[in-house]
Amino acid sequence: MIVSLNWLKELVEYKLNPQDLANKLSLISIGVKELTENCLELDLTYNRGDLLSLRGVAREIAAITSSKLLFSAPDPSCYQWTNQTLHKTPVEIEDEKLSSVQCIAKIEGLIVEPSNPGWVKKLEDSGIRSVNNLVDVTNLMMLEFGQPFHAFDAKFISDETIIVRRAKNGEEITTLDNKLRKLTSQDIVLADTKGAVDVGGIMGGKDTEIKESTHTILLSASTFNSVMVRKTSKKLGLYSEASKRFQHGLTKTNLLAALAAAIKMYESLGGKLVAVNIVGDLEEKPKTVKLTQKKLNDLLGISIDPEFILSSLEKLGFKVLASQGLTLRAWEVKVPYWRLDINIEEDLIEEVARIYGYDKIEGKPLDDKLPEKLDESLPDFIYKLKKACKDIGLIEVQSYPFYSTNVLTALAFTDEYRKYLIKIANPISLETEYLRINIWPNLVEVVGKNLRRGHNDIAIFEIGKSYHKSYVGKEIPEEGYVLSIALCNRTNNPLAELYKIAENLCVHLRGVELKVGKPSKVVTDLFHPNRFVHIEKDGKPIGGMAEVHLRVLNKLGIEKRVAVLEIEI
Amino acid sequence: MEDTLKKIQQSYLQKISEAKTLKELDEIFLSLFGKKGEVTLLPKDFSKLSEEEKRKIGPLFNQVKQALEGGIVRARVKVREEIYKALEDEKFTLQPLRLQANPDLIGTKKRKGHLHLATQFKKEIIDLFEKLGFSQFDAPHIELDKYNFEDLNIPKDHPSRDMWDTLYIDTINLKVEPGQMLLRTHTSNFWSRLMEKNKTPIRAMSFDRCFRYEAVDARHSHTFNQFEIAVVGENITMANLKYLSDYLLKAILGKEANSRFRPKYYPFVEPGVGIDSLCVFCHGKGCKICSGTGWFEIAGAGMIHPNVFKATGLDPKKYSGLAWGFGPDRILMLKHGIEDIRYFLEGDLKFLEKY
Repeated sequence: MIVSLNWLKELVEYKLNPQDLANKLSLISIGVKELTENCLELDLTYNRGDLLSLRGVAREIAAITSSKLLFSAPDPSCYQWTNQTLHKTPVEIEDEKLSSVQCIAKIEGLIVEPSNPGWVKKLEDSGIRSVNNLVDVTNLMMLEFGQPFHAFDAKFISDETIIVRRAKNGEEITTLDNKLRKLTSQDIVLADTKGAVDVGGIMGGKDTEIKESTHTILLSASTFNSVMVRKTSKKLGLYSEASKRFQHGLTKTNLLAALAAAIKMYESLGGKLVAVNIVGDLEEKPKTVKLTQKKLNDLLGISIDPEFILSSLEKLGFKVLASQGLTLRAWEVKVPYWRLDINIEEDLIEEVARIYGYDKIEGKPLDDKLPEKLDESLPDFIYKLKKACKDIGLIEVQSYPFYSTNVLTALAFTDEYRKYLIKIANPISLETEYLRINIWPNLVEVVGKNLRRGHNDIAIFEIGKSYHKSYVGKEIPEEGYVLSIALCNRTNNPLAELYKIAENLCVHLRGVELKVGKPSKVVTDLFHPNRFVHIEKDGKPIGGMAEVHLRVLNKLGIEKRVAVLEIEI
Repeated sequence: MEDTLKKIQQSYLQKISEAKTLKELDEIFLSLFGKKGEVTLLPKDFSKLSEEEKRKIGPLFNQVKQALEGGIVRARVKVREEIYKALEDEKFTLQPLRLQANPDLIGTKKRKGHLHLATQFKKEIIDLFEKLGFSQFDAPHIELDKYNFEDLNIPKDHPSRDMWDTLYIDTINLKVEPGQMLLRTHTSNFWSRLMEKNKTPIRAMSFDRCFRYEAVDARHSHTFNQFEIAVVGENITMANLKYLSDYLLKAILGKEANSRFRPKYYPFVEPGVGIDSLCVFCHGKGCKICSGTGWFEIAGAGMIHPNVFKATGLDPKKYSGLAWGFGPDRILMLKHGIEDIRYFLEGDLKFLEKY
């Protein structure tokens, strides 16, 4: 959210300079991405939807700097439609799961013009381009209230009727960005009697947009099912300022206040409200959350007195219901309508803590009573083995968990074999499509890189995970640690030295035996036909060591001999 | 000209067919296509030809060139196949067969082994927390949505899911629905897995790999380390979190370092904390590393959310918990002035041995 500092001054009377304000916000409220001469960019967090509006930011600043707000709470008795009898435009919500409120206001007598410089500046400071006076009102109101709007040219809405419904499978609409969008019944649309005119919560249609010739608009304000908006947005790859706000959830109180303000702006442009229709469930259900001083102090590990707790909450717009009293140190707290993120006691504790100052919390050690140790034999063994490899003169490498395309080609994996590899459904590139089932191929690739860098004696190891498609009575595929070594030592029989290295390591691997043999049929193409050693532990195979077949090495650009070892640990 | 071309083709194809080693083929290649190779030099004489001849010679030249190139490629394959075949005659032996002129270098000069920088750092941090009674707990890399997201109060379709760009596992032939299995995006799956065992109190830690859908560049990697601690008990507080935070930062960045807590949103904690460290590179005065602020962001933490307790079968009224996590790779980069995160996993020996 980009906050225009000049605009902010119209809404809250803060005294801090912008730098101090930014610091204060980031220590008490929300991260500040950037501060420039004209604006303040706030991080987007998924809890504070209320901070996606200038009024929300102003309220927060008023609370944390004890400054005066320059706007008053919404007053439904002053809304235009409350005080006069107006026609009703036809509006319908087909299914309340899609939208809880849909408002349409018909405004006549408008003339499309460039916006005045004040509006243009406000928009530009907020990172939004000015279009024309009629469209700009919708964006200005979205920025100020956090409630998105859409203005249709009434002439192009058949029967001036707006229906909120699911799109039909295959229904098409050209959106404002001139792209043809294909929709399904999982998407919400606003439609007239002929077809879709707006992808709900995301973007309006091209055909019904405001044009030079527009005189009458249908102004739409809605709430939508946030999950559906999110899914549609993802599917279409279309993220708008509006969709962002719909995803975070909107409130009805705010919607009506914003609608009244928007109508007022159109009136200032010479427009006349001639019809309005507000359908849906308008009742706001206030939330109350219980808070006790004990829980608060227990969780924070400090002692905050009741007066401070109550005053902090009140500053932030919470109402503490008096009935519970100070003596019990337990309160029913009414959550302000704009704080959709406050649902449980811990949420209130965070509110009090941040006003108190997170940074005033002094550190306290954990108590001396130590929990029972977990079984750490595997990590301990892994570290011991790493040390042993190092002492023997090997250098530890940590390679990627994937097989690169070079490795896949060198191993000549057929589709038949690839079936055994775990595959990524959405790889970043072909280099991250398959998880490694062995580590040695990656080590050989590393040997190749280092040979090309001029090394000629390379002795490396890695202990890491390999990934298998098999299940062993578990809910997830098997992944286990393996030790792998690769050796390229200026001889054309590196296995001789690797054999000695393995013998040395056997001291740390109880029950391990080396048995000279031949590679099994499955791997004959990968290893030298005669230089192969099976490795067993307590009579069971746990791996092997071998000279890598020259064909594999050549494909990885290696002309020297390389031997590898790999065992499960 | 036509004759010259034909002659070159004939004589070299003969030579190629007689070559027995890759070296001989390399030499033939050079004498044809090297800087002063016979084929390389030929086009220089083309200007002397008449238009009609040019039209004829052009295609012929290409034909000869392709024939020779193809011949060499095929011959190389043949020679290689013979070398591969000859492997059958090589026996298993413990005698190193020497290739180099100086056999004294082999096996006799002791190599100097080395542990990866991340392993050294891991050991340092693990030892620090072992002293406070923490145990290591390993959780899977390939994980179910349940443990990586759902149990950690990140429900399906919640916008907060956008905080993690996730690599999903192709579930064909696996026993789960598409989208339900993934590469874990954080080490936090260790707490959901450990808390589920319902053995309290817990003091556990994990220093291990995580994965994100992220294009690789100097500052980003799809594979990276996280270190995380989780404490669960009957009286765990934010004051404990502050203590542990300072304890770690002072140990790895120096006594001067201390942590500054800010509110930060993570779905699995409440209250949530963003942690800055006093910038030890400029002693808090402001420098390039801390963008002139005197502090740099280092970790995320908070008090474990009641919904995480509920999801794992623990009573949030009885227990509280804290969690603290950070990216060791980034800290190592800052500490050692390493400019590219890719160095950690690319296996360049010069880099590995330097640290």
